[in-house]
Amino acid sequence: MADTVRAYSGPLVLALLVHLAAVTALHDGWFPGAQPEGRAIKPNLVQSQLIVMQPKARPEPKPAPPKPAAEAPVVAEPEPQAKPEPRRDREAERRQREVAEALERQQRRLAELAQDSFTQALAEEASELAADQDLSAAQSFRFGIYQRVVANWSRPPSARNGMQARLLVELIPTGAVVGVTVVESSGNSAFDRSAEAAVRKARAFDVPPESDLFERHFRRFSLLFKPEDLLR
Amino acid sequence: MPEQISIFELVANASLLVQMVMALLALASIISWMMIFQRWFFLRRVANEVDQFEDHFWSGVDLRELYAELEGHDDLTGIETVFVAGFQEFVRLSDQAGAEVDSIMQGVQRGMRVALNREEERLATHLAFLATVGSTSPYVGLFGTVWGIMNSFRSLANMSQATLASVAPGISEALVATAMGLFAAIPAVIGYNRFSAQVEELMKRNEAFSDEVTSILHRAAQARS
Repeated sequence: MADTVRAYSGPLVLALLVHLAAVTALHDGWFPGAQPEGRAIKPNLVQSQLIVMQPKARPEPKPAPPKPAAEAPVVAEPEPQAKPEPRRDREAERRQREVAEALERQQRRLAELAQDSFTQALAEEASELAADQDLSAAQSFRFGIYQRVVANWSRPPSARNGMQARLLVELIPTGAVVGVTVVESSGNSAFDRSAEAAVRKARAFDVPPESDLFERHFRRFSLLFKPEDLLR
Repeated sequence: MPEQISIFELVANASLLVQMVMALLALASIISWMMIFQRWFFLRRVANEVDQFEDHFWSGVDLRELYAELEGHDDLTGIETVFVAGFQEFVRLSDQAGAEVDSIMQGVQRGMRVALNREEERLATHLAFLATVGSTSPYVGLFGTVWGIMNSFRSLANMSQATLASVAPGISEALVATAMGLFAAIPAVIGYNRFSAQVEELMKRNEAFSDEVTSILHRAAQARS
């Protein structure tokens, strides 16, 4: 028994080491794509904020310098005619205070602007993201509409592979079709008519319930009818 | 931006059956690696022992002396056992009065054959396990994968809008099982092939050695009668 334990404990330790090495290799992003992509994406996000901040922040310092410059001549005037000492002192004090105040004001405005541009960048990003999501949602609805059109289409005998027609479809928020026109003919009038008829026959489509998405993408939209894969 | 999901998260989120399959495969992999290392060291040692004993045997040592030297020992190596078994039978049978050469040689061959069979058994231990792991663990992994993909598609049936993102994690998670099956199987198959070739080679040497011992003893028996 002791012999067997001795004979197998070494190999067992080695086997465990092999597996431990495999697991750590997996964990440390040895397999492709894990870390590098994450790293590549993060700096991108930071960069976009920096770019928005800089052009906003730059114009600010320009109006600021003139202030002290404009004040300087004012202060310079009393100096030549200055006679009493205390007055000059007070004058200097006032000047200092003014400069400090201006500086403070300027800094505050800078901070405000930075804050503004930061929130603006955030909002921009959020809206971009939302637009992205909208687009993909619209895309999936559009795909559904296309499927319905294809399902309602009856193939004219003269239709050939590669024909395509662009239709302008008008919907109302319930999804019902109120108008179809061919804006770009396929060159074959039977095909154009069949495409138009397919849309009319579908009568209504699934449209997004969000009204702004509907208004933007589905109130009037053009539909490229190109049932290539159905023609043989 | 979505971070890539780590493999460990995938495993942790897998369904119970898939996790069980993965655990089974991990265990099979660890045990088969253990067997591989054990066989590796063991067969290397046995090959060394055979080399040493053959050198000693052909160095012109007297066979009776060699037998007397080995007989008392408990921890004989494989090839020594073969020799001792044959020579013991020879001594016993030739001590009996009126034993014929043929019957003596038959007894010697029988004794050595038994020892050879035992030796082969000893060399080939665990090889059957390696073969089993090598041939079945891809199927076990595949089973886990098929089960996982089946479930991820079934959950897809309830969604109105199917996107790739809703199936991808499930499929990726299921594929981990296949990867683990292959991870367990590949070393096991390589180990099995290598070790069974080594065992075969060692057994050939043992058999050749036992034939040589037989012919030496045959000559001795004929000289006696």
